[in-house]
Amino acid sequence: MSLVVDAVQATIGASEPWPDDVILYQQYQVEQITLPDYAQCLAVETFLHMCGLRFRVEQRTNAEEMSPSGKVPFIQVGPYLVSEFDPVVGFVSTKGFNLSQSLSDTERSEMRAYISMIENILGNAELYMAWLYPDIAAEVTKPRYGCCYPWPLSWILPWRKQREVRARLEANDWASKTCEEVCGEVRTCCQALSERLEKKKYFFGDKPTELDAMVFGHLYTLLTTILPGGHFTAVVQDFDNLAQFCKRIEDSFFKLAFD
Amino acid sequence: MAYEKIKLTVWRGDWGLPSVDPHCLAVLAYCKFSGVPVEVIKTGNPWYSPSGNFPVLQYKGESYTKVSDIFNFLRKENWGSDHELSCKQSADVLAFSAMLEERLLPALLHLWWMDDKTFIDVTRPWYASAIPFPFSLFHPRRKQKKAELRVLLTKGGDYITDAETEAKVYKEAKECLNLLSYKLGDKPYMFGRLPSSLDALIFGYLTPLLKAPLPSNQLQTHLLQCENLCRLCNDILTVFFPAEVRESNESKKQNDEAKKKDGTKSDLAEFPHRRRNIFLAVLFVVAAMTGFAFAHGLIQITISDDDSSMTVKQSIASKSEGRELRSQKHQDILEESTGAGED
Repeated sequence: MSLVVDAVQATIGASEPWPDDVILYQQYQVEQITLPDYAQCLAVETFLHMCGLRFRVEQRTNAEEMSPSGKVPFIQVGPYLVSEFDPVVGFVSTKGFNLSQSLSDTERSEMRAYISMIENILGNAELYMAWLYPDIAAEVTKPRYGCCYPWPLSWILPWRKQREVRARLEANDWASKTCEEVCGEVRTCCQALSERLEKKKYFFGDKPTELDAMVFGHLYTLLTTILPGGHFTAVVQDFDNLAQFCKRIEDSFFKLAFD
Repeated sequence: MAYEKIKLTVWRGDWGLPSVDPHCLAVLAYCKFSGVPVEVIKTGNPWYSPSGNFPVLQYKGESYTKVSDIFNFLRKENWGSDHELSCKQSADVLAFSAMLEERLLPALLHLWWMDDKTFIDVTRPWYASAIPFPFSLFHPRRKQKKAELRVLLTKGGDYITDAETEAKVYKEAKECLNLLSYKLGDKPYMFGRLPSSLDALIFGYLTPLLKAPLPSNQLQTHLLQCENLCRLCNDILTVFFPAEVRESNESKKQNDEAKKKDGTKSDLAEFPHRRRNIFLAVLFVVAAMTGFAFAHGLIQITISDDDSSMTVKQSIASKSEGRELRSQKHQDILEESTGAGED
């Protein structure tokens, strides 16, 4: 996270090959994990698959507390713990795996811009839907978040997390939006992605990039998670090429990985 | 056709800029790009805004306070320069705008409101003088609090120290500047020959960084190295805001001339009440000395009855008599003591 750690990783990391026992930690997928966290985990997982790297997924109830930055997912590579999407991409590239190597400078800056857009719009929209939309927060997110703790904690921890998320969304002006406005934001974001993707296989030609991993992580989560109301699923389904894109990536990276 | 003017209220400008606030600048630039007939009101009084912040765009009883809302409104009313863009380019505008908000804005907020030196030297004095009295007491503090929350809650966390957050925020912002610079390349504007809303946003975020008298900081240094971004900002400023540029040049010239004129009397100018202070000091000293002399009887005032006027008579003679007496006494004591010593 800090610059010193970055520098150390850049110098030491490069000399060592990718070890066999890399572990990606996340919360329990079926019972526990919340919508925004799952999108992040899936994005990192997809990215590692796209790089063709070996790793296994460990599910822990306290993955959030184990992570150096307090956010899931994080990977353990030898002595290093790296959390979240951007640092993982940076770390992996020090090992010589870089998906965006063949892109020009302009394309790479466009790719970073689209990744920012997904983090900014879809990330905040997921947090809003999961924690601030009353039905979903009460029926789905809070029970799931507290499922593995005994009684008083199962009530206190989700409540504290919700307060945290609310403060964060208030700070960047998302909390004051209505549900329709949030859906509108998601729609413009998907519209932009759809325009950019057109009929191509991946966003930048024939090869997958970080952006493809990010888009898949978020859109697949929105498409497959069944929530009361189903606002986001309906929005994403309107864009045929995005739905097909998700299907294609699922087939080519996840079916193979499980076989 | 009944035609109602669009009213746009913004923070007032300084340092040769039409406004000092990034978002106000962006909206002003966007309006200028497409010649939207807006009536611009420059103010420092947050009382005029429903949210306590600017820009505010008012039209037909409705007001819009967020930049994205204002842009959307102008697009809907068919004003704006984004119509020329292809669908793909519009998507790029959205993506890059999100990147600016996600990566550049936190660093700018940190620089203006959380960096102690900049805040004390530039931001606080500016807002304190721009905002009228009762608001100037709490409004800057409120803005600062908001900026702090925005940076720390979205970029930091319980597990990260403030110093690490700061390093991360500035690192991201520098990367963002690089990416913008790559994307701009040698083109006059981001998407070729016509300015878009993205150019307006970039102009708004970066120009204050170039023009304000900031103490040296890493973000400004980095921006100066991205020459094409500096060129973009300066071009927009000279092409679309010629009045402000001329005004700032003139005031700069006047300042320089005034400085040259005052060069010789510079120390006089530094202390405006110098003469008065000297006069008061002299008066005080004279009064004190006279008082002292009076108290010790060096000056005596006797009121003689014959002509009932005051005459001042010096009594040096009587005084010196007394002194002789005293010295004689002293001698006696000395003699006595020496006598005792001899015994």
